Amino acid sequence: MNELLVMTQIAGRRCALQAHDVQSVIELGNITPVPGTPDFIAGIAALRSQALTVIDCRLALGFDAAEWETDNRCAAVTVGGHAYALMVDSIEDVSTGASEPSQVSGGFGEEWCRVATGMIETGIGPAILLDLEALISGSDRSWNTFSAAA
Amino acid sequence: MDDLLADFVAETREMLEASEGEIIAWEANPSDRARLDTIFRFVHTVKGNCGFFDFPRLAGLSHAAEDALADVRAGRREPDSTMVTAVLAIIDRIAQMVDAIEAGKDFPDGGDDTLIAALENGADQGAASAERTLHEPASALLETGNADDQPEKKAEPTPQAQRSIRLPVDLLDRVMSGVSDMVLARNDLAHRLRSAGNQPTIDGPFERLTSILSDVRDAITRMRMQRIETLFNGLPRLVRDLSSELGKQVMIDLDGGDVELDREMIEMIRDPLTHIIRNAIDHGMETPADRLAAGKREIGLLSVAARQSGNTISIVVSDDGRGLDEDLIAEKAVASGVITAQARKKASRDQILELIFEPGFSTAAEVSAVSGRGVGLDVVRENLEHVGGKIKVSSTTRVGTLFTLQIPLTLSIIAGLTVEVSGQQFAIPQSYVEEIVLSSAKSLDYARIGETSLVTFRGKRTPCLMLGEVLGISDDELTQREHTLVMLRLASGHLFALAVDGIHHHGDLVVKPLAPAVMKTEFYAGSTLLDDGRPILLLDITNIAAKHDLVSDARNRVLNDEDGRDEGQDRDLVRAMLFTDFDGRQSAIRLELVRRIETVSADSIEESSGSSRAVIDGVILPLVGLPSGALPADRIRLLRIGDGGCEVLLAVRDIKDAVALTDKLKPVAEDPLVEAVTLIEGQQVALLDGHELFARYGEPPEQLERPLCRLPDGDWAQSILGPLVESAGYQVIAADDNTEGAISIMFEDIYNVTQALDQPISGPVIRLRDQPDAPAHENTIYRYDREGLIEALRRAQAGGQA
Repeated sequence: MNELLVMTQIAGRRCALQAHDVQSVIELGNITPVPGTPDFIAGIAALRSQALTVIDCRLALGFDAAEWETDNRCAAVTVGGHAYALMVDSIEDVSTGASEPSQVSGGFGEEWCRVATGMIETGIGPAILLDLEALISGSDRSWNTFSAAA
Repeated sequence: MDDLLADFVAETREMLEASEGEIIAWEANPSDRARLDTIFRFVHTVKGNCGFFDFPRLAGLSHAAEDALADVRAGRREPDSTMVTAVLAIIDRIAQMVDAIEAGKDFPDGGDDTLIAALENGADQGAASAERTLHEPASALLETGNADDQPEKKAEPTPQAQRSIRLPVDLLDRVMSGVSDMVLARNDLAHRLRSAGNQPTIDGPFERLTSILSDVRDAITRMRMQRIETLFNGLPRLVRDLSSELGKQVMIDLDGGDVELDREMIEMIRDPLTHIIRNAIDHGMETPADRLAAGKREIGLLSVAARQSGNTISIVVSDDGRGLDEDLIAEKAVASGVITAQARKKASRDQILELIFEPGFSTAAEVSAVSGRGVGLDVVRENLEHVGGKIKVSSTTRVGTLFTLQIPLTLSIIAGLTVEVSGQQFAIPQSYVEEIVLSSAKSLDYARIGETSLVTFRGKRTPCLMLGEVLGISDDELTQREHTLVMLRLASGHLFALAVDGIHHHGDLVVKPLAPAVMKTEFYAGSTLLDDGRPILLLDITNIAAKHDLVSDARNRVLNDEDGRDEGQDRDLVRAMLFTDFDGRQSAIRLELVRRIETVSADSIEESSGSSRAVIDGVILPLVGLPSGALPADRIRLLRIGDGGCEVLLAVRDIKDAVALTDKLKPVAEDPLVEAVTLIEGQQVALLDGHELFARYGEPPEQLERPLCRLPDGDWAQSILGPLVESAGYQVIAADDNTEGAISIMFEDIYNVTQALDQPISGPVIRLRDQPDAPAHENTIYRYDREGLIEALRRAQAGGQA
């Protein structure tokens, strides 16, 4: 309750990240692709002298990234001591959560369920509160297609 | 000794702090095995350290607790709350005693026996009924104990003021990455300043900033360093314990404790080093009686020495024990299937000895308490290779064994090479790079055998990986176009080629860890930033090789090494670099003469009056072998040959390979530049005569021996002619200096006077005239005819007279 959330759009859906987890919102420059990784890992990028792993959240959720525009702004987060940049459609705002995350009967759909902590009411409407760890590990499908290709 | 004591106190307290949580968790759940292990380790370490420092009471307490916990670990005893309480009380007593030791005070006598007695198995029987109640007072004891001693601890400042402080490594890392950021910002600024043009008011301070920054960077790097002493300090005790346990007498000699290396690296080598020392004492050292019988001193000597050389530290562990038994090792290896009996016959002693690092190998006939617990030297080697280190062994029977560990100074900064493939750059740790070969697929004898690619390198078929293919970013085969092969030597001694599109630069790389999802690919060991701030990936060469089965098992290891031996026997043969010159002739030049292979662009080659020169690394070198007329290509391949003093560039059309000249050398008289002809694979090849080549074209480095030029007297000659002559590469001497062999520049009138007086002039003479137009049949040069003058100097030096 009352915690600050960074509101983003991922594949046209409104998602919320806990502001506590987000170090900064950055404009991505050059991304160095990393051959041999599933496609949701867009590559590595530099934030000052730090190397960030860029995760394309749309692909990590099984969407086609080409269908969704991005404003090139990423949320820089740290999970397990490693820094990541989350590539989303856009970063909208910072808002306050108005409820505890709750589940919706019927769920959010398979991919979303994997990454969702629950639905949360915010100042600008309901959003899915994302579980960072699940988000950056990518969908099983993308790993499967990847190992099939390898 | 004070330092050691301070270390002991600090270490014990650190462990206490760390295990505090564990102790409480264990109290809640005494059957929790992981917590039990942590606490066991703690009391075990305290016990060990106490033995070293002569703290009998601490030793007695920790020993009692260790015994009780060992029983629990072995399943001989069920942990119950009585016992937990008793252990906790002992741990608390240890903390109080450590405080007292630090303050240099005596701890009040008594009470220990009660605590130890509480641990006894009998104690819980008696108290079984009152289990609950006993638990309470014991924790109360724990609390009161704290309450009693806490003020004392706070009130007494540590007596010896320490001149060092303990810092979390995290903080150091933060400072370090801050400095890295500063370096990047500086690079960016430098870039902008360059594009803005010269600005003296800014450039000065900027230079200062640069030098300060590099100082700070060095200092920060050193902050992560620790003397290897911290590792060495623990060894005497280890040796003492082991030798008394095994009934041997061993003396340890430590050397090079002041060598510094990365803190984390010290932790990485702690286990391998301990393992090797254990092995040495357990297997290497004989018992005192055996030693006396063998005519040695009854006390064995184990020496551990650390040395730094460049970016690596070598640690040598040597003992004067019985040495490794080649036959026993071989027998074992054959029996356990590590090598075949046939391979064993061919293998040399060194190769057999190396087998001790193979997985599944242990020489200990029976598993002893000290070593041979299944954690073998293979793990030691693996761990060392993991951090980019190496291990070697050499041994003489009955004289001793010597292990050499080579480890990089730090994990985080390595020398690396940047390569490019399909437009993307990657870094390769320099330590793997054996050689870089630029050549066409044809001359490398590229062959695709099944799914494997092979190239011929130094007459050996070597597996070749295409980096683009490995990473799945391009799948073109090694085509006819030029390729760059990076020859990589793995720690195991295997060689393979990695084909890339190009090499960029090499330098120090600051390596950062990668996210787990990226590490999963097993292609990369980390990431690093280029000077312009772009991140690139550092390739994990060992893993890439392993993925392609290039790290073969011991059988091939022996076979491969055999090739190496053959090469050694070839050493008497003449080795030569085989190439095709611009006349299409197959030629060769002795390999010892070849310094380097260079590629220069045509515009750095200058041709004048029959001789050519090229600029390489800012040095002008004579160039031979070019065809007459226009340059045949934009880029010319050159062999840079040198005799120690002079260097000559030899232009070639194509470089083949280094070959051994096995056939007879037939001297040739007709061409002075050719020493002999010989046959290589049935083809006639002319071996160039190095002597003649240097005699004709060799030019000593300019700075050392510049030709002399004698100038006329006068201001004009000093200030106008002098600089011109000097810039043409001559050393200027005064008119009255009579050094032999100097070229003289004289004004015509003075020359005429000299001639009239019949004064001899040594060396060639260049005469200058004052008028631009030359009078007929006068061999003089107008004094402002720059080109003419330089040309005359050159001709004069070549032997003619202007």
